[in-house]
Amino acid sequence: MKKNVLAVLMCAAMAGSLIAAPVFAENLSDTTAGIAQFEGLTANEAYDFQIVVKSFQSTYWQAALQGMDQAKEELGVTYTAQGPASESDIADQVNMLNSCINSTPAGVGLAACDTASVLESLQSAVDKGVPIVAFDTGIADAPEGSVVCTVVTDNSAAGSVAADKIYEAIKDKLGNGPVRVGEVNQDNYALNIQQRGLGFINRLIELAAADGFTVAMEGNEFYVNAAEGAVDGDADIILEVRVPAQTTVDLCSTEAATILDKEDTVAIFGSNQTAAEGLLAADANREVLGDTIIGVGFDAGTSIKAAVEDGTFLGAVTQSPLMMGYYCIYALTAAANGQELIDVPTDGYWYDASNMTDENIAPNLYD
Amino acid sequence: MTKKKSIFTQEVIVGIIVIALYFIFRGISADFGKYTTFLTLTDISYYYVLMAIGVAFPLITGGVDLSIGTGLICYALAGGYLIRAFSWPTGLAILVSILFGVAIGLANGVLVSIMGLPPFLATLCTCMITRGLGSVVTGSFAVPWPTAKQDNGWFHAIFKMTIVTADGKMKFPLGLVWIILLMLVMQFVLAHTRFGRYTIAIGSNKEAAILSGINVKFYHVMVYAVSGLFAGLASIAYAAYVPTVQPGTGAGMELDAIGGAIVGGVSASGGYGTIYGTVLGAYVIMLLKQGLPYIGLNANMQQIITGFVLIGAVVIDIIKRRAIR
Repeated sequence: MKKNVLAVLMCAAMAGSLIAAPVFAENLSDTTAGIAQFEGLTANEAYDFQIVVKSFQSTYWQAALQGMDQAKEELGVTYTAQGPASESDIADQVNMLNSCINSTPAGVGLAACDTASVLESLQSAVDKGVPIVAFDTGIADAPEGSVVCTVVTDNSAAGSVAADKIYEAIKDKLGNGPVRVGEVNQDNYALNIQQRGLGFINRLIELAAADGFTVAMEGNEFYVNAAEGAVDGDADIILEVRVPAQTTVDLCSTEAATILDKEDTVAIFGSNQTAAEGLLAADANREVLGDTIIGVGFDAGTSIKAAVEDGTFLGAVTQSPLMMGYYCIYALTAAANGQELIDVPTDGYWYDASNMTDENIAPNLYD
Repeated sequence: MTKKKSIFTQEVIVGIIVIALYFIFRGISADFGKYTTFLTLTDISYYYVLMAIGVAFPLITGGVDLSIGTGLICYALAGGYLIRAFSWPTGLAILVSILFGVAIGLANGVLVSIMGLPPFLATLCTCMITRGLGSVVTGSFAVPWPTAKQDNGWFHAIFKMTIVTADGKMKFPLGLVWIILLMLVMQFVLAHTRFGRYTIAIGSNKEAAILSGINVKFYHVMVYAVSGLFAGLASIAYAAYVPTVQPGTGAGMELDAIGGAIVGGVSASGGYGTIYGTVLGAYVIMLLKQGLPYIGLNANMQQIITGFVLIGAVVIDIIKRRAIR
């Protein structure tokens, strides 16, 4: 019964992605071309794949594995998933990846915690002829021939959607002295978080500049240095970026609290499920989100969905982990068959209280 | 002639440090002085302080319990999973979380006391086991406990209640009352009951305790059970603060609790300690954790400073011991 429900949700998600364009479709590559390459795909053998996720810390990964289960049943292949205890355990993940590659499976699906740390392992995958499918997080400098397909959300576009929504909501407050916009990123080393964080920052700077306003950066050095077009000194918007020492909700909440407590804060963005839940934990005592401060989250999960529903969050951007997991297995199977692949950008959606039940949104809002 | 005891015991000094730190952070950052910041400080402190009270007992016996951090997450995951997956009543799930803590504590006690494993090694093993067990229990997935707004989210009110005043609603950190009560009860247990006296005796001179006929093995097991019990209680405070309990986390939390106990005057080599000192020490760590971000220091700097504070506390302990000799 559970599987039937999932199958219906998957079909709805896929149909939805064709019928209703995601909010930031214009920023993405064409999703349909990536998906079309799998038409009529069957597995030449009952392949066994290895999957290495970032961790099982958030329900996001649960949704990705649900998508993988669906694909494995359709294709008659199997997979084994593993991941380190937390997304900060980079060395553990590299060890897991090395063991997977050494066992020369039909393919490895990888969501890298730290993209720079896996490059050596990827070279050994090339040497051993093990195809790698990168999902959730792309690997920019992967050795030639190692990553045969990348199944990711356009994270930069996803971050910029949050900036669009926040800018629209705070526009009227600009020009009467500086206002503060906060961003909590759980780390500054994973490519998807970097891209998302910078997508938000650079878009906000761009939108403000278009209206003749300036943005000054504060906080985490990586994001401050990587921002494009920010000014030093006085500005109309102070964009403060905070990063905790570890990727946990309570440490994210402390960083969020310091921003929420500032008198000039008008908006804040939490760039993944852990960071967004950190905002909610910090707001529990303050109750300023949805009141004096605009809050925008990312991904789904029970508490974020509830916050969007009751107006604590203006909205959130959801990726489609279900689809990412699903197409990761399809890409691995096609690669094992010897098919040449193009990348598969998966959809991301802006959701708020008004569209949470839409057919192209609801299946991606995992608990 | 008896030497007059100084009123400036480590506990009094730590108490002064707590007050001083609070006002220093308030002085530097006006935002830190806000009532909401105080509420967040108390919310986050509950689970660390509860862990610190519990772990003070093994520390006083000259042992340690490294399993309380990952244990806390494991117990919170188990309780939350029972509510989410099997619709268990919240009260029953809380009871399971607490009893789970006691069970792991008893296991630690058996390993240390009966099997003779060094406490560091025994509890390091259960630290790993609970870290993995939490993931196994929930199928490796994060578990949200009911929110305060949901019907079965009543347990949030244990730690924070909303009072309606003439000016509107106000939140009161009720958990602080429980912490003070537990502190008084456990201080009484440590100082005035047989269990407490034997705990200190095991830490001061285990051989003498055995020779004087104390059932050291039994009391040693109970010491670890107390540590597990408080880790179980801490798991409920944790679940009341974070929206989702994430498997795989928790490692490192025990160090903040142990550090708090040591800052509060619990001897790093056993035989001495107080619960009120432990609670105050835990608040020093909490104030650093919460206050340093407000004065613009990033999380890495917070860890460095906390490390130096711990070195200071251990050095004081060593100097005190030398003075006694």
